[in-house]
Amino acid sequence: MPGVQIDPNDEIIQLRHLRKSFWTTEGEQQVLQDVSLNIHRGETMVIIGGSGGGKSVILKHMIGLLQPDGGEVVVDGKVISTPDYFDAATIRRKMGMLFQMGALFDSMSVGENIAFALREHNPGIPEESVEEIIARLLGMINLNPAFATKMPSELSGGMKKRVSLARTLAVEPEIVLYDEPTTGLDPITADVINDLIIDTQHQFNVTSVVVTHDMVSAFKVADRIAMLYQGHIIFVGTPDQVRTTHNPYVQQFVRGQRKLEAVPA
Amino acid sequence: MGTSRFPDPLLVLDSLGEITLRILRRVHGAILDGLASVGGVLVMCGQIMALFPKALSQPESVIKEAMRLGVASIPLVFVTSLFVGAVAAVSAKYQFRDMVPLKYLGTSVSKLVLLELGPVLTGLVMSGRIGSSIAAQIATMKEKEEVDAMSVLDLQPLRYLAAPRVLVGMAAMPVLTTISCFLAVVGAWGVCVIGLGVTSYTFLSGTRLFYSPYDVFVCEIKALVFGLLISLMGYYHGSQSAGGAKGVGEATMKSVVSSSVMILLFDFLIAFLLLRQSPT
Repeated sequence: MPGVQIDPNDEIIQLRHLRKSFWTTEGEQQVLQDVSLNIHRGETMVIIGGSGGGKSVILKHMIGLLQPDGGEVVVDGKVISTPDYFDAATIRRKMGMLFQMGALFDSMSVGENIAFALREHNPGIPEESVEEIIARLLGMINLNPAFATKMPSELSGGMKKRVSLARTLAVEPEIVLYDEPTTGLDPITADVINDLIIDTQHQFNVTSVVVTHDMVSAFKVADRIAMLYQGHIIFVGTPDQVRTTHNPYVQQFVRGQRKLEAVPA
Repeated sequence: MGTSRFPDPLLVLDSLGEITLRILRRVHGAILDGLASVGGVLVMCGQIMALFPKALSQPESVIKEAMRLGVASIPLVFVTSLFVGAVAAVSAKYQFRDMVPLKYLGTSVSKLVLLELGPVLTGLVMSGRIGSSIAAQIATMKEKEEVDAMSVLDLQPLRYLAAPRVLVGMAAMPVLTTISCFLAVVGAWGVCVIGLGVTSYTFLSGTRLFYSPYDVFVCEIKALVFGLLISLMGYYHGSQSAGGAKGVGEATMKSVVSSSVMILLFDFLIAFLLLRQSPT
C-alpha cells in the first residue's frame, strides 16, 4: 500500500499467553484462555470472532484498561500488563481508541471533545492552533467546520464515530484501536468509516487494530485477520488466506453458517 | 419396620454444621468486601483531595459544578428549611405550655436548628439532590464508556470528574446549611408571630439568649463533613456501577442510602467529640 510501511520484524504489540476471567452470576467465565498475537508496526490487524467472545476484552488489555489474570501485553517493547500506572500512562499517549458507541463527552461540544486532550496535554498551546487542528480534523472526517459547535446529542451514530476518530487523532497516536467501528451503521455509512480507517492508516502511518464481526469491513480494511474462537486465536492470515483457508471454524464465521461444515481440501 | 421415624442425629448435626459453615463463610466474605470498600473509599478520598489544587487551577469546571449542584439546590433548601423551622416552633410551643416561659422558644429553636436540624436535614436532603445527581451522572458516563475514553486519552477521571464535584460538595454544604439555618429560624419566627401568639421581641430575644459562636462552628464542621460524604459516596457508587440502566439506578440508590447512614453516624461522632464538654 502506498504511504504505509509495514515491518513484519517490528512487532509493536505483542500478546503473550493472555488469560482473563470474569465473575458473573453464573460463576467464573474464562473469556480469554490463551491468547497470543503479534501486531506489526504500520499494519491494520482485524480481530474477528463471535459476539461476546472477548474481542473487546483483548482491545482493553492492549490499552491497559484491563489487567490480565495471566500472560503479558507488550507495547513498543514495554510490558504494560502490570498495575504500574506510569507505564500505562506513557503508553496511552501513543495509543488511541475508538469506542463502539463513540463515547463522546456529552457535556462538551464537538470541538471541545476533539480538543479536550490536546488542550490538557499542551497547556500553552495557542487557541488559534487548536481551532486550526479542529477544522483540519473535521475536514478529514468529512464534516463541515460548523459542526464544531454542535453537541453530541445532535449527531447521528455514524457522525459520533467519526468525531470520536477525530478526537483520537488529535493527540497523534501511533496506534489506533477500533472497537466494532461499523456496528449499528447502515452499509453506506459503514463504508465511510471503513474508508476513514484506511485513510487514517495512510495519512498518519498508524498501526490499527480493528475488532469487528462485520466481514465486509474486515476484508476491506485488513492487512491481516486474526480469528478468536473460544478464548484462543485459532487463525491469523491475510484476507486472501482467510477466503481460502480450510479451517472449518473460520469458514463457518466468514460464510455466516449456523452449522459447522467440513471444508473440502 | 426397623426404620426410625426420627432422622439420624449425626446427619442432623452434620447438616447444621454445614449450614453454619456456609453462613460463616458468607459473613466472612461480606466483612472482607465491606473492609475492601472502606479501604477503597479512603484511598480514593486521599487521591481526590490531592487533586484539589489541579481542579482549582481550572475554575470553569468547578464553577459549572457549583452552579449545577450548589446554586440550583437553594430553592429546595428554601422550602424545606422554612417548613422545618415552622414545625420546630409549633412542636416546641406545644411542649412548653404552662411549664417553660415562651422567651425560651427562640432559644430552643435556634439551638436545635444550629446544632442538629440545619446540618443534618440539609445533609439528608442534599444526599438525595447532590449525591444522587453525581452518582447517576458518573454511572451513565461509565455505562457509555466516557470514563474509559477519558482514561484512554490519559486524562485521569479522578482529576476531571471527581475532584471538581467533591470540592463543590464540600464548599456548597456549609453555604447551603447557613442558608438553611437562617431560613429555619425565619420560618419559626414567622409561625410564632402569625400563628402562636408569641411576640417578635420575645422570640428574637430568646434566639440571642445563650447564643454561642461555638454552635456555628460545630454546625459548619458538620456541614463540611457531610458535604464530603455526600459527594464522595455519589462519585464512588457511580464509578462502581455496572449493568446498564439497572446499574445506574442501583448506584443512585446506594449513594443516597450510604450517605444518609454516614451522615447520621458522623453526626453522632462530631457531636460526641465537639459537644461532650461545654466550651470553655
